[in-house]
Amino acid sequence: MTATTSSVAAAHRPDRFHRWLSDVFDQPASVRGAAVLRIVLGPCVIWHLRPFLADALDGITYHDRFQQPWWAWYPNAPEGLYVALLWIGVAAAVLMTVGWWSRIATWVAFAVVAYNLFLSQTHFHHNRAFLVILLAGVALCDNGRALSLDALRRPPPDDRALVWPIWLLRFEAAVVYFASGFSKLIDPDWVGGRVLHDRSVRYQNEVRDALGDTLADPVLEVVTARAFHWVLSPAAVATELFIAFGLWFRRTRLVAVWVAVAFHVGIEVTSHVQVFSVIAIGALALWAVPSTRDRTLVTPSRWVRWLDWMARFDITVTPGASWCMVDRDGTVLEGREARQFVRTRLPATFLFSRFWRYR
Amino acid sequence: MATAADAVAESTGPQAGPNRPLWRLRGARWFAAAVVVAQLALVANGYRDAHNYFAFQPFNESSTYAVELARVLDDGQRVAVPNGRWEGYDWNELIDWGPLRSPWRQRHAFSGVDAVVDFLDHALDWMADNTPGDTETRYWEATVTYYRNARGPHVTVIRSHDRELGGP
Repeated sequence: MTATTSSVAAAHRPDRFHRWLSDVFDQPASVRGAAVLRIVLGPCVIWHLRPFLADALDGITYHDRFQQPWWAWYPNAPEGLYVALLWIGVAAAVLMTVGWWSRIATWVAFAVVAYNLFLSQTHFHHNRAFLVILLAGVALCDNGRALSLDALRRPPPDDRALVWPIWLLRFEAAVVYFASGFSKLIDPDWVGGRVLHDRSVRYQNEVRDALGDTLADPVLEVVTARAFHWVLSPAAVATELFIAFGLWFRRTRLVAVWVAVAFHVGIEVTSHVQVFSVIAIGALALWAVPSTRDRTLVTPSRWVRWLDWMARFDITVTPGASWCMVDRDGTVLEGREARQFVRTRLPATFLFSRFWRYR
Repeated sequence: MATAADAVAESTGPQAGPNRPLWRLRGARWFAAAVVVAQLALVANGYRDAHNYFAFQPFNESSTYAVELARVLDDGQRVAVPNGRWEGYDWNELIDWGPLRSPWRQRHAFSGVDAVVDFLDHALDWMADNTPGDTETRYWEATVTYYRNARGPHVTVIRSHDRELGGP
Protein backbone atom coordinates (compact mmCIF):
# COMPACT_ATOMS: atom_id res chain seq x y z
CA MET A 1 0.00 0.00 0.00
CA THR A 2 2.78 2.37 1.00
CA ALA A 3 4.83 1.42 -2.04
CA THR A 4 1.83 2.05 -4.33
CA THR A 5 1.13 5.40 -2.70
CA SER A 6 4.72 6.53 -3.04
CA SER A 7 4.99 5.40 -6.65
CA VAL A 8 1.80 7.31 -7.49
CA ALA A 9 3.17 10.36 -5.70
CA ALA A 10 6.44 10.01 -7.59
CA ALA A 11 4.56 9.77 -10.87
CA HIS A 12 2.69 12.99 -10.07
CA ARG A 13 5.82 14.88 -9.16
CA PRO A 14 7.02 15.51 -12.74
CA ASP A 15 3.49 16.60 -13.64
CA ARG A 16 3.47 19.14 -10.82
CA PHE A 17 6.93 20.31 -11.82
CA HIS A 18 5.93 20.72 -15.47
CA ARG A 19 2.78 22.55 -14.42
CA TRP A 20 4.85 24.87 -12.28
CA LEU A 21 7.28 25.43 -15.15
CA SER A 22 4.38 26.15 -17.46
CA ASP A 23 2.83 28.61 -14.96
CA VAL A 24 6.13 30.40 -14.54
CA PHE A 25 7.26 30.57 -18.16
CA ASP A 26 4.24 30.29 -20.41
CA GLN A 27 1.22 31.73 -18.61
CA PRO A 28 0.74 35.46 -18.22
CA ALA A 29 -0.05 36.94 -14.82
CA SER A 30 -0.09 40.39 -13.25
CA VAL A 31 3.13 42.38 -13.67
CA ARG A 32 2.02 45.05 -11.20
CA GLY A 33 4.83 44.09 -8.80
CA ALA A 34 7.41 44.83 -11.50
CA ALA A 35 5.62 48.12 -12.26
CA VAL A 36 5.85 49.19 -8.60
CA LEU A 37 9.53 48.28 -8.60
CA ARG A 38 10.07 50.23 -11.83
CA ILE A 39 8.66 53.34 -10.15
CA VAL A 40 10.95 52.85 -7.15
CA LEU A 41 14.03 52.17 -9.28
CA GLY A 42 13.71 55.38 -11.31
CA PRO A 43 14.65 57.79 -8.49
CA CYS A 44 17.22 55.26 -7.23
CA VAL A 45 18.98 55.34 -10.59
CA ILE A 46 19.20 59.14 -10.35
CA TRP A 47 20.37 58.91 -6.73
CA HIS A 48 23.00 56.37 -7.82
CA LEU A 49 24.22 58.49 -10.77
CA ARG A 50 24.23 61.72 -8.77
CA PRO A 51 27.86 61.56 -7.49
CA PHE A 52 29.14 60.72 -10.97
CA LEU A 53 27.19 63.66 -12.39
CA ALA A 54 28.36 66.00 -9.63
CA ASP A 55 31.95 65.08 -10.46
CA ALA A 56 31.24 65.52 -14.18
CA LEU A 57 29.94 69.02 -13.52
CA ASP A 58 33.28 69.74 -11.80
CA GLY A 59 35.05 68.40 -14.87
CA ILE A 60 36.07 65.09 -13.26
CA THR A 61 35.31 61.68 -14.73
CA TYR A 62 36.66 58.20 -14.17
CA HIS A 63 39.47 59.10 -16.59
CA ASP A 64 40.89 61.51 -14.03
CA ARG A 65 41.26 59.16 -11.07
CA PHE A 66 42.46 55.70 -10.16
CA GLN A 67 40.51 53.05 -12.02
CA GLN A 68 40.83 49.31 -12.21
CA PRO A 69 39.30 47.97 -15.44
CA TRP A 70 37.38 44.70 -15.26
CA TRP A 71 38.43 43.63 -18.73
CA ALA A 72 41.02 45.02 -21.13
CA TRP A 73 38.59 44.83 -24.06
CA TYR A 74 35.85 46.84 -22.37
CA PRO A 75 35.23 50.08 -24.32
CA ASN A 76 36.21 53.31 -22.58
CA ALA A 77 33.88 56.14 -23.53
CA PRO A 78 35.59 59.48 -24.18
CA GLU A 79 34.83 62.09 -21.54
CA GLY A 80 32.08 63.91 -23.46
CA LEU A 81 30.28 60.73 -24.44
CA TYR A 82 30.55 59.39 -20.88
CA VAL A 83 28.91 62.50 -19.43
CA ALA A 84 26.20 62.36 -22.13
CA LEU A 85 25.53 58.72 -21.19
CA LEU A 86 25.07 59.68 -17.54
CA TRP A 87 22.47 62.30 -18.52
CA ILE A 88 20.74 59.78 -20.79
CA GLY A 89 20.57 57.50 -17.76
CA VAL A 90 18.90 60.26 -15.75
CA ALA A 91 16.37 60.92 -18.51
CA ALA A 92 15.61 57.20 -18.76
CA ALA A 93 15.13 57.05 -14.98
CA VAL A 94 12.58 59.86 -15.14
CA LEU A 95 10.71 58.08 -17.95
CA MET A 96 10.79 54.84 -15.94
CA THR A 97 9.17 56.48 -12.97
CA VAL A 98 6.34 58.06 -14.91
CA GLY A 99 6.03 55.02 -17.13
CA TRP A 100 6.50 56.60 -20.52
CA TRP A 101 8.10 54.15 -22.94
CA SER A 102 8.48 52.13 -19.77
CA ARG A 103 10.30 49.11 -21.09
CA ILE A 104 12.71 50.95 -23.39
CA ALA A 105 13.47 53.45 -20.63
CA THR A 106 14.23 50.61 -18.22
CA TRP A 107 16.56 48.96 -20.73
CA VAL A 108 18.36 52.27 -21.28
CA ALA A 109 18.70 52.90 -17.54
CA PHE A 110 20.00 49.36 -17.12
CA ALA A 111 22.51 49.85 -19.94
CA VAL A 112 23.87 53.11 -18.48
CA VAL A 113 24.11 51.83 -14.90
CA ALA A 114 25.67 48.53 -16.00
CA TYR A 115 28.13 50.26 -18.35
CA ASN A 116 29.21 52.61 -15.57
CA LEU A 117 29.57 49.75 -13.07
CA PHE A 118 31.78 47.75 -15.41
CA LEU A 119 34.03 50.67 -16.33
CA SER A 120 36.09 50.17 -13.20
CA GLN A 121 36.16 47.75 -10.31
CA THR A 122 36.32 50.81 -8.06
CA HIS A 123 32.72 51.52 -9.10
CA PHE A 124 31.56 48.24 -7.62
CA HIS A 125 29.37 48.11 -4.53
CA HIS A 126 26.96 45.34 -3.63
CA ASN A 127 24.02 47.76 -3.77
CA ARG A 128 24.97 48.79 -7.31
CA ALA A 129 25.23 45.16 -8.40
CA PHE A 130 21.75 44.55 -6.99
CA LEU A 131 20.49 47.67 -8.77
CA VAL A 132 21.82 46.39 -12.11
CA ILE A 133 20.19 42.99 -11.56
CA LEU A 134 16.84 44.53 -10.63
CA LEU A 135 16.91 46.86 -13.64
CA ALA A 136 17.63 43.94 -15.97
CA GLY A 137 14.81 41.87 -14.50
CA VAL A 138 12.27 44.69 -14.65
CA ALA A 139 13.32 45.49 -18.22
CA LEU A 140 12.74 41.86 -19.22
CA CYS A 141 9.19 42.21 -17.94
CA ASP A 142 6.45 44.05 -19.82
CA ASN A 143 6.35 46.48 -16.92
CA GLY A 144 4.43 49.31 -18.60
CA ARG A 145 1.10 47.45 -18.43
CA ALA A 146 0.22 48.97 -15.05
CA LEU A 147 0.89 52.18 -13.14
CA SER A 148 2.30 53.97 -16.18
CA LEU A 149 1.56 56.70 -18.67
CA ASP A 150 1.88 54.00 -21.31
CA ALA A 151 -1.13 52.22 -19.79
CA LEU A 152 -3.04 55.51 -19.68
CA ARG A 153 -2.27 56.42 -23.29
CA ARG A 154 -2.89 52.95 -24.72
CA PRO A 155 -4.81 50.98 -22.11
CA PRO A 156 -3.90 47.28 -22.32
CA PRO A 157 -6.70 44.71 -21.88
CA ASP A 158 -5.27 43.87 -18.45
CA ASP A 159 -2.06 44.08 -16.45
CA ARG A 160 -0.90 40.58 -17.36
CA ALA A 161 2.25 39.52 -19.16
CA LEU A 162 4.83 36.77 -18.81
CA VAL A 163 6.16 36.74 -15.27
CA TRP A 164 9.25 34.54 -15.45
CA PRO A 165 11.45 37.63 -15.01
CA ILE A 166 9.63 38.26 -11.73
CA TRP A 167 10.44 34.74 -10.59
CA LEU A 168 14.04 35.30 -11.60
CA LEU A 169 14.13 38.52 -9.59
CA ARG A 170 12.60 36.72 -6.61
CA PHE A 171 15.45 34.23 -6.82
CA GLU A 172 18.01 37.04 -7.03
CA ALA A 173 16.49 38.90 -4.07
CA ALA A 174 16.46 35.73 -1.97
CA VAL A 175 20.07 35.01 -2.97
CA VAL A 176 21.14 38.44 -1.71
CA TYR A 177 19.72 37.69 1.76
CA PHE A 178 20.90 34.09 1.77
CA ALA A 179 24.45 34.79 0.55
CA SER A 180 24.87 37.58 3.06
CA GLY A 181 23.43 35.57 5.97
CA PHE A 182 25.18 32.30 5.16
CA SER A 183 28.61 33.89 4.72
CA LYS A 184 28.24 35.43 8.17
CA LEU A 185 26.87 32.22 9.67
CA ILE A 186 30.03 30.28 8.77
CA ASP A 187 32.36 33.07 9.88
CA PRO A 188 33.06 32.63 13.62
CA ASP A 189 34.17 36.26 13.93
CA TRP A 190 30.85 37.44 12.54
CA VAL A 191 28.36 35.13 14.19
CA GLY A 192 30.33 35.35 17.46
CA GLY A 193 29.87 39.13 17.55
CA ARG A 194 33.50 40.17 17.06
CA VAL A 195 32.93 42.05 13.79
CA LEU A 196 29.93 44.09 14.92
CA HIS A 197 31.42 44.74 18.36
CA ASP A 198 34.62 46.09 16.85
CA ARG A 199 32.68 48.35 14.49
CA SER A 200 30.51 49.63 17.33
CA VAL A 201 33.55 50.48 19.44
CA ARG A 202 35.34 52.13 16.53
CA TYR A 203 32.41 54.28 15.44
CA GLN A 204 31.11 55.21 18.91
CA ASN A 205 32.22 58.81 18.33
CA GLU A 206 29.71 59.08 15.49
CA VAL A 207 26.95 57.91 17.82
CA ARG A 208 28.04 60.52 20.37
CA ASP A 209 28.05 63.23 17.69
CA ALA A 210 24.58 62.24 16.51
CA LEU A 211 22.89 61.80 19.87
CA GLY A 212 24.78 64.13 22.19
CA ASP A 213 26.46 63.04 25.44
CA THR A 214 23.34 62.69 27.57
CA LEU A 215 21.55 60.31 25.24
CA ALA A 216 24.68 58.64 23.87
CA ASP A 217 26.03 57.44 27.23
CA PRO A 218 23.34 54.87 27.99
CA VAL A 219 23.11 53.82 24.32
CA LEU A 220 26.85 53.30 24.03
CA GLU A 221 26.96 51.43 27.30
CA VAL A 222 24.73 48.83 25.67
CA VAL A 223 26.00 48.76 22.08
CA THR A 224 29.70 48.65 22.98
CA ALA A 225 29.21 45.83 25.49
CA ARG A 226 30.68 42.57 24.19
CA ALA A 227 27.75 40.54 25.51
CA PHE A 228 25.28 42.62 23.49
CA HIS A 229 26.90 41.42 20.28
CA TRP A 230 26.74 37.78 21.33
CA VAL A 231 23.01 38.25 20.90
CA LEU A 232 22.82 40.88 18.14
CA SER A 233 25.10 39.17 15.62
CA PRO A 234 23.39 35.76 15.57
CA ALA A 235 20.06 37.60 15.51
CA ALA A 236 21.18 39.59 12.43
CA VAL A 237 22.29 36.39 10.69
CA ALA A 238 19.03 34.64 11.59
CA THR A 239 17.08 37.63 10.29
CA GLU A 240 18.75 37.52 6.88
CA LEU A 241 18.28 33.77 6.56
CA PHE A 242 14.66 34.00 7.69
CA ILE A 243 13.93 36.64 5.05
CA ALA A 244 15.70 34.55 2.38
CA PHE A 245 13.46 31.53 3.05
CA GLY A 246 10.38 33.15 4.59
CA LEU A 247 9.56 35.10 1.44
CA TRP A 248 9.00 31.88 -0.51
CA PHE A 249 6.15 30.52 1.63
CA ARG A 250 2.69 32.01 1.79
CA ARG A 251 2.33 31.44 5.54
CA THR A 252 5.54 33.29 6.38
CA ARG A 253 5.64 35.80 3.53
CA LEU A 254 3.91 38.72 5.19
CA VAL A 255 6.00 38.36 8.35
CA ALA A 256 9.15 38.11 6.22
CA VAL A 257 8.21 41.31 4.38
CA TRP A 258 7.60 43.08 7.68
CA VAL A 259 10.93 41.84 9.08
CA ALA A 260 12.70 42.83 5.84
CA VAL A 261 11.39 46.40 6.01
CA ALA A 262 12.46 46.74 9.66
CA PHE A 263 15.83 45.17 8.80
CA HIS A 264 16.51 47.60 5.95
CA VAL A 265 15.42 50.63 7.94
CA GLY A 266 17.77 49.49 10.72
CA ILE A 267 20.67 49.10 8.29
CA GLU A 268 20.05 52.49 6.74
CA VAL A 269 19.98 54.21 10.12
CA THR A 270 23.17 52.56 11.38
CA SER A 271 25.18 52.27 8.15
CA HIS A 272 24.46 54.26 5.05
CA VAL A 273 24.29 51.81 2.19
CA GLN A 274 23.56 54.09 -0.77
CA VAL A 275 20.48 52.88 -2.66
CA PHE A 276 20.39 49.39 -1.15
CA SER A 277 17.71 49.88 1.49
CA VAL A 278 15.26 51.55 -0.88
CA ILE A 279 15.66 49.12 -3.78
CA ALA A 280 15.49 46.13 -1.44
CA ILE A 281 12.26 47.40 0.08
CA GLY A 282 10.93 48.16 -3.42
CA ALA A 283 11.83 44.64 -4.53
CA LEU A 284 9.50 43.26 -1.85
CA ALA A 285 6.65 44.20 -4.22
CA LEU A 286 7.77 41.29 -6.40
CA TRP A 287 6.55 38.86 -3.75
CA ALA A 288 2.91 39.86 -4.10
CA VAL A 289 0.82 37.07 -5.64
CA PRO A 290 0.74 37.97 -9.36
CA SER A 291 -3.03 38.18 -9.65
CA THR A 292 -5.12 41.28 -9.22
CA ARG A 293 -8.62 42.16 -8.10
CA ASP A 294 -9.34 38.58 -7.05
CA ARG A 295 -10.76 39.59 -3.67
CA THR A 296 -14.00 41.56 -3.64
CA LEU A 297 -14.48 44.41 -1.24
CA VAL A 298 -17.50 46.53 -0.44
CA THR A 299 -16.51 49.58 1.54
CA PRO A 300 -17.84 53.01 2.42
CA SER A 301 -14.30 54.49 2.20
CA ARG A 302 -12.84 55.98 -0.94
CA TRP A 303 -9.28 55.91 0.46
CA VAL A 304 -8.92 52.19 -0.13
CA ARG A 305 -8.88 52.78 -3.91
CA TRP A 306 -6.10 55.30 -3.56
CA LEU A 307 -3.99 53.02 -1.40
CA ASP A 308 -4.56 49.77 -3.28
CA TRP A 309 -1.45 50.11 -5.51
CA MET A 310 -1.10 46.38 -5.90
CA ALA A 311 -4.76 46.03 -6.98
CA ARG A 312 -5.45 43.39 -4.35
CA PHE A 313 -9.19 44.13 -4.31
CA ASP A 314 -12.11 44.48 -6.68
CA ILE A 315 -13.54 47.49 -4.86
CA THR A 316 -17.10 48.76 -4.74
CA VAL A 317 -17.49 52.01 -2.81
CA THR A 318 -20.98 52.24 -1.34
CA PRO A 319 -21.58 55.21 0.97
CA GLY A 320 -23.11 54.06 4.24
CA ALA A 321 -22.44 50.36 3.64
CA SER A 322 -20.51 48.28 6.17
CA TRP A 323 -17.21 46.67 5.23
CA CYS A 324 -17.43 43.27 3.56
CA MET A 325 -14.56 41.38 1.96
CA VAL A 326 -14.58 38.03 0.14
CA ASP A 327 -11.15 36.39 0.06
CA ARG A 328 -9.70 34.26 -2.76
CA ASP A 329 -10.81 31.06 -1.04
CA GLY A 330 -14.36 32.34 -0.50
CA THR A 331 -13.88 33.32 3.13
CA VAL A 332 -16.14 36.23 4.01
CA LEU A 333 -15.01 38.87 6.50
CA GLU A 334 -17.25 41.67 7.68
CA GLY A 335 -17.01 44.90 9.64
CA ARG A 336 -13.90 45.40 11.73
CA GLU A 337 -12.36 42.10 10.62
CA ALA A 338 -12.70 43.03 6.96
CA ARG A 339 -11.20 46.46 7.63
CA GLN A 340 -8.24 44.97 9.46
CA PHE A 341 -7.64 42.41 6.72
CA VAL A 342 -7.66 45.14 4.06
CA ARG A 343 -5.06 47.07 6.03
CA THR A 344 -2.77 44.04 6.00
CA ARG A 345 -2.85 44.02 2.19
CA LEU A 346 -2.24 47.71 1.45
CA PRO A 347 1.42 48.69 1.01
CA ALA A 348 1.00 51.92 2.98
CA THR A 349 -0.73 50.38 6.00
CA PHE A 350 0.38 46.76 6.34
CA LEU A 351 3.34 47.66 8.55
CA PHE A 352 1.01 49.06 11.18
CA SER A 353 -1.62 46.36 11.03
CA ARG A 354 -2.05 43.21 13.06
CA PHE A 355 -0.85 41.05 10.19
CA TRP A 356 -0.23 37.96 12.31
CA ARG A 357 -3.95 37.41 12.66
CA TYR A 358 -4.44 37.31 8.90
CA ARG A 359 -1.54 35.43 7.41
CA MET B 1 -13.64 32.90 -5.85
CA ALA B 2 -10.94 32.44 -8.43
CA THR B 3 -7.51 31.57 -7.12
CA ALA B 4 -4.28 33.05 -8.38
CA ALA B 5 -3.60 29.85 -10.33
CA ASP B 6 -7.04 30.02 -11.91
CA ALA B 7 -6.47 33.61 -12.87
CA VAL B 8 -3.24 32.59 -14.53
CA ALA B 9 -4.71 29.53 -16.21
CA GLU B 10 -7.68 31.40 -17.61
CA SER B 11 -5.46 34.03 -19.14
CA THR B 12 -5.73 34.78 -22.82
CA GLY B 13 -3.41 37.76 -22.78
CA PRO B 14 -1.39 38.75 -25.80
CA GLN B 15 1.71 37.00 -24.54
CA ALA B 16 0.09 33.69 -23.64
CA GLY B 17 2.05 30.57 -24.39
CA PRO B 18 0.37 29.38 -27.59
CA ASN B 19 1.00 32.73 -29.33
CA ARG B 20 4.72 32.69 -28.78
CA PRO B 21 7.19 30.85 -30.97
CA LEU B 22 8.67 27.74 -29.40
CA TRP B 23 12.22 29.06 -29.58
CA ARG B 24 11.23 32.01 -27.38
CA LEU B 25 9.53 29.79 -24.84
CA ARG B 26 12.52 27.45 -24.68
CA GLY B 27 14.94 30.35 -24.85
CA ALA B 28 13.40 31.95 -21.76
CA ARG B 29 13.83 28.71 -19.80
CA TRP B 30 17.44 28.28 -20.86
CA PHE B 31 18.19 31.92 -20.15
CA ALA B 32 16.65 31.72 -16.68
CA ALA B 33 18.52 28.50 -15.94
CA ALA B 34 21.78 30.11 -17.06
CA VAL B 35 21.18 33.13 -14.80
CA VAL B 36 20.46 30.89 -11.80
CA VAL B 37 23.59 28.80 -12.40
CA ALA B 38 25.75 31.89 -12.99
CA GLN B 39 24.48 33.59 -9.83
CA LEU B 40 25.08 30.49 -7.71
CA ALA B 41 28.58 30.19 -9.21
CA LEU B 42 29.30 33.82 -8.33
CA VAL B 43 28.09 33.28 -4.76
CA ALA B 44 30.38 30.24 -4.45
CA ASN B 45 33.23 32.19 -6.05
CA GLY B 46 32.85 34.83 -3.33
CA TYR B 47 34.51 32.47 -0.86
CA ARG B 48 37.79 32.61 -2.81
CA ASP B 49 37.60 36.03 -4.47
CA ALA B 50 38.96 38.83 -2.27
CA HIS B 51 36.37 41.24 -3.67
CA ASN B 52 33.45 38.78 -3.64
CA TYR B 53 31.94 40.44 -6.70
CA PHE B 54 28.24 39.63 -7.09
CA ALA B 55 28.55 37.27 -4.12
CA PHE B 56 26.72 39.63 -1.78
CA GLN B 57 28.82 39.48 1.37
CA PRO B 58 28.50 43.05 2.72
CA PHE B 59 30.04 44.10 6.04
CA ASN B 60 32.17 40.97 5.93
CA GLU B 61 34.98 42.28 8.13
CA SER B 62 35.75 44.93 10.66
CA SER B 63 39.38 45.22 9.68
CA THR B 64 41.64 48.26 9.62
CA TYR B 65 44.82 49.11 7.81
CA ALA B 66 47.46 51.80 7.52
CA VAL B 67 50.08 52.24 4.82
CA GLU B 68 53.62 53.51 4.86
CA LEU B 69 54.20 54.79 1.34
CA ALA B 70 57.70 55.00 -0.09
CA ARG B 71 59.35 55.79 -3.39
CA VAL B 72 62.32 53.66 -4.36
CA LEU B 73 64.69 55.64 -6.56
CA ASP B 74 66.90 54.43 -9.37
CA ASP B 75 69.91 54.16 -7.04
CA GLY B 76 67.93 52.01 -4.59
CA GLN B 77 67.38 54.82 -2.10
CA ARG B 78 64.03 54.51 -0.27
CA VAL B 79 62.24 57.83 0.27
CA ALA B 80 59.25 57.95 2.58
CA VAL B 81 56.15 59.83 1.38
CA PRO B 82 54.53 60.62 4.73
CA ASN B 83 51.49 62.59 3.59
CA GLY B 84 51.24 61.28 0.06
CA ARG B 85 52.84 64.41 -1.43
CA TRP B 86 55.94 64.45 -3.59
CA GLU B 87 57.28 66.46 -6.50
CA GLY B 88 54.04 68.35 -7.00
CA TYR B 89 51.89 65.21 -6.87
CA ASP B 90 49.29 64.35 -4.25
CA TRP B 91 48.16 60.77 -3.58
CA ASN B 92 44.63 61.83 -2.61
CA GLU B 93 44.18 63.96 -5.72
CA LEU B 94 45.52 61.27 -8.02
CA ILE B 95 43.78 58.23 -6.55
CA ASP B 96 40.66 60.19 -5.51
CA TRP B 97 38.76 57.14 -4.26
CA GLY B 98 37.26 56.94 -0.79
CA PRO B 99 38.50 53.52 0.37
CA LEU B 100 42.13 54.43 -0.44
CA ARG B 101 41.99 58.04 0.72
CA SER B 102 44.78 59.07 3.15
CA PRO B 103 45.90 55.47 3.70
CA TRP B 104 48.77 56.59 5.94
CA ARG B 105 46.12 57.01 8.63
CA GLN B 106 44.38 54.06 10.26
CA ARG B 107 41.46 53.29 7.90
CA HIS B 108 38.57 50.88 7.79
CA ALA B 109 39.27 48.18 5.21
CA PHE B 110 36.42 48.53 2.73
CA SER B 111 35.21 45.05 1.72
CA GLY B 112 37.96 43.46 3.81
CA VAL B 113 41.73 43.55 4.04
CA ASP B 114 42.36 41.29 1.06
CA ALA B 115 40.29 43.54 -1.22
CA VAL B 116 42.08 46.67 0.00
CA VAL B 117 45.54 45.16 -0.44
CA ASP B 118 44.60 44.08 -3.97
CA PHE B 119 43.33 47.57 -4.81
CA LEU B 120 46.43 49.14 -3.28
CA ASP B 121 48.59 46.91 -5.44
CA HIS B 122 46.78 48.11 -8.57
CA ALA B 123 46.80 51.70 -7.31
CA LEU B 124 50.60 51.63 -7.03
CA ASP B 125 50.84 50.43 -10.63
CA TRP B 126 48.40 53.12 -11.69
CA MET B 127 50.51 55.76 -9.88
CA ALA B 128 53.62 54.49 -11.60
CA ASP B 129 51.90 54.87 -14.97
CA ASN B 130 50.30 58.26 -14.37
CA THR B 131 53.04 60.42 -12.88
CA PRO B 132 55.14 61.38 -15.90
CA GLY B 133 56.60 64.41 -14.08
CA ASP B 134 58.28 62.17 -11.54
CA THR B 135 61.64 61.37 -13.14
CA GLU B 136 63.24 59.82 -10.06
CA THR B 137 61.02 57.03 -8.79
CA ARG B 138 61.88 53.57 -10.05
CA TYR B 139 58.97 51.94 -8.27
CA TRP B 140 56.50 52.43 -5.46
CA GLU B 141 56.43 50.46 -2.27
CA ALA B 142 53.68 50.23 0.34
CA THR B 143 54.12 48.62 3.74
CA VAL B 144 50.61 47.71 4.84
CA THR B 145 49.97 47.15 8.54
CA TYR B 146 46.56 45.69 9.16
CA TYR B 147 44.31 44.31 11.86
CA ARG B 148 41.90 41.65 10.64
CA ASN B 149 38.80 41.86 12.81
CA ALA B 150 40.89 43.54 15.53
CA ARG B 151 43.56 40.81 15.45
CA GLY B 152 47.07 41.82 14.59
CA PRO B 153 49.13 43.66 13.64
CA HIS B 154 50.01 41.87 10.42
CA VAL B 155 52.37 43.39 7.90
CA THR B 156 52.62 42.90 4.16
CA VAL B 157 54.70 44.76 1.60
CA ILE B 158 53.56 45.40 -1.95
CA ARG B 159 55.22 47.28 -4.79
CA SER B 160 54.41 48.66 -8.19
CA HIS B 161 55.99 47.56 -11.42
CA ASP B 162 59.25 49.24 -12.44
CA ARG B 163 58.96 52.53 -14.25
CA GLU B 164 60.96 53.60 -17.29
CA LEU B 165 63.16 56.52 -16.24
CA GLY B 166 65.01 59.12 -18.28
CA GLY B 167 62.65 59.02 -21.26
CA PRO B 168 62.92 61.15 -24.37
